[in-house]
Amino acid sequence: MYFYIILEKRRVKKMIWFEMKKIFLKRVNQVVLLVLLAIVLVGSFLTIRDVKCYREDGTMISGLSAARQLRKEKNKWQGRLTEEVIQQAVAENQAVNASAESEELMLAGRQNLEDIRELVNMGFSKIGEYDYYVCDQIAVDQAADLYEKRLSNLKEEIIGTEQQEKIVFSQKEKEFLIRQYENLKTPLFYEYMEGWKALLDSQYLPTLMIITIVIIGFLISGIFSDEFQLKADSIFFSTKLGRNRAVGAKIKAGFLAITAVYWSVMLLFSAIVLGVLGFGGAGCMIQTGGNWYSMYNITYFQDWLLTMCGGYVANLFILMLAMLISAKTRSTVVAITIPFALSCAPMFLGRVSMLTELMNLFPDMLLRISKFLDVFLVCEIGGKVFGLYLVLIPVYLLLTLMLTPLLYFGYRKSEVK
Amino acid sequence: MELNITNLTKEFAGMQAVNHLNITMGSGVYGLLGVNGAGKTTLMRMLCTLLHPTSGEITCDGKEIFAMDGEYRKLLGYLPQDFGFYPEFTVENYLHYIATIKGLRPVVAQKRVKEMIGAVGLKKAAHKKMKKLSGGMKRRAGIAQAMLNDPKILILDEPTAGLDPNERIRFRNLISELAEERLVLLSTHIVSDVEYIANEILLMRDGKLVHRGTAKELIDSMQQQVWKCYINKNEVGHLLKKYKISNMKSDAQGVEVRIISEEKPIPNAVLEEANLEDVFLYYFGEKAGEENDMV
Ligand SMILES: Nc1ncnc2c1ncn2[C@@H]1O[C@H](COP(=O)(O)OP(=O)(O)O)[C@@H](O)[C@H]1O
Ligand SMILES: [Mg+2]
Repeated sequence: MYFYIILEKRRVKKMIWFEMKKIFLKRVNQVVLLVLLAIVLVGSFLTIRDVKCYREDGTMISGLSAARQLRKEKNKWQGRLTEEVIQQAVAENQAVNASAESEELMLAGRQNLEDIRELVNMGFSKIGEYDYYVCDQIAVDQAADLYEKRLSNLKEEIIGTEQQEKIVFSQKEKEFLIRQYENLKTPLFYEYMEGWKALLDSQYLPTLMIITIVIIGFLISGIFSDEFQLKADSIFFSTKLGRNRAVGAKIKAGFLAITAVYWSVMLLFSAIVLGVLGFGGAGCMIQTGGNWYSMYNITYFQDWLLTMCGGYVANLFILMLAMLISAKTRSTVVAITIPFALSCAPMFLGRVSMLTELMNLFPDMLLRISKFLDVFLVCEIGGKVFGLYLVLIPVYLLLTLMLTPLLYFGYRKSEVK
Repeated sequence: MELNITNLTKEFAGMQAVNHLNITMGSGVYGLLGVNGAGKTTLMRMLCTLLHPTSGEITCDGKEIFAMDGEYRKLLGYLPQDFGFYPEFTVENYLHYIATIKGLRPVVAQKRVKEMIGAVGLKKAAHKKMKKLSGGMKRRAGIAQAMLNDPKILILDEPTAGLDPNERIRFRNLISELAEERLVLLSTHIVSDVEYIANEILLMRDGKLVHRGTAKELIDSMQQQVWKCYINKNEVGHLLKKYKISNMKSDAQGVEVRIISEEKPIPNAVLEEANLEDVFLYYFGEKAGEENDMV
């Protein structure tokens, strides 16, 4: 019996191996994989290049050397951003403004406190009317209210008045948001975090996620339909295991291909960007960076985990669906369009305002989590309120698990036409 | 090993491709002979569990084959009429893959793949990619995959189609070697494919079995006789309209025709011994496929 189980496992492994061979020996697939690799490299280069800083003489540099200099300068502020520290930063900012001889020298002189400037700008601008110059004008005393202002803005501006045309939250949702805000531990810890900001707060990651899912779509869309397209189906389905384990092996191969390519791309991209710009700031709350009003009380590292896992779940779901379509329509081409349609189309459809709320539930939302963490997307289930993503991720994971038997039993019954 | 086909029917959009077929087969070589569209492929697909019958059933030693599932397919070797491969696999890879999904144990698979590559003469091409193989080589690879699991039931759908005459002869020899101790069902629209190697010939027309028997029994079953006559070229048209002509040879003076007819078609006709080609013409009203036609 034991021997039999080992034998079975080896057999299934071998089948998966052959299925992977079918995928990765296909010329188109090799080409798109190379394209993907190139895109990752170019993407990380562009991401890194977006980090810029001024040298003392007012000239600008970017990339690795900019990151080095910024780390040195910004870590001057490393530590808790207490009221005193914030006031000190605001005062220093205004002093630099007053004394600098040129615009460039001013920017160079205050770039070490740019992140704190940003917090003050966000914290004291009117909601929805971000003002870059707030920090330059604010009274130093007033700046000390930064953290209180965040909560009072939430209460009065964001969820407060009902006549606002913004989303109106239910009582439970309001309580949830306030609780989340109150739970943010202040004063925030600050250190240099350009690497994480470049990785998670820029537009490159969501774009890369979409490209990745479309390209994995190419890889997996033929797993089921190619048997028919190649006319290999007659032999496949007339073999002993062709209607059971060999189908299982196909599903597993798809799962493996998705997992391997997705994580390779994401880890490679993250490793290059963080490797060059630095891992520092992993422990900073995301509010400290560009997500001041976020209701998610997580660090940048947790943001990364959430974004990556969410993206992975979206990949699993959308690509599993593509495989199901590939099995049903027997067309590789139709299957290829699925990830494209599901990851890109909602962006255009989203402009139709009637659909917006529904659109928030679409799986493509999981492809750009880090960009949506400061949006108030909440969701009420059984009287409890959750941040939307904490619901979407498990729901789509569950849906993926439900698609699997559909795929298995649907394909298993295929007839030859 | 006994395959029992009872009242088997397959309908496509109101057309009965296989029509209430009843056949019992034990071990031996069966030649399924019929013109294109007779329903041979449809029947074979049902035998390979690739199509569900509209009605009727197929049993293997008394058990319904679809219910037997993997246990039945384990016994099966199938060479489809029109099939493809994974283009980037080498022959050896491909056979290993099929061996795996046929459920062969790794050690056995290793041995069988080697044996079959040798048996079908693909040793030199073993490391060639499938997409680089010629038509004949592909068909040989097809036979090899069908034989991997040493099937008790071997189903070959037009295995000689597309082969040149030499390959065809080699193929027939290969098949008769493989035929021992199993049930081989071989379909063709070419008489000579089955004339010598089939123990029994099944004549199929419009989804029905019109006759079955040995070559001799089929020849004896003809109600008409075969005549050879020598005529002028201008008489050919007239005879073609009136009789079934199974063969024609022309020379400078005239034409030698082979006519199937109950009575003497013309006064100087000579009675001839009937062969299987004549039987084909007699039952199907059209000529059998040529030896060297390319389908
Ligand atoms: N999948 C199908 N859909 C519709 N008609 C079919 C299908 N397969 C076969 N047929 C029809 O059934 C008849 C028998 O076809 P087939 O079994 O391929 O004959 P053979 O193999 O003897 O040439 C033909 O008329 C063919 O057109
Ligand atoms: Mg056919």
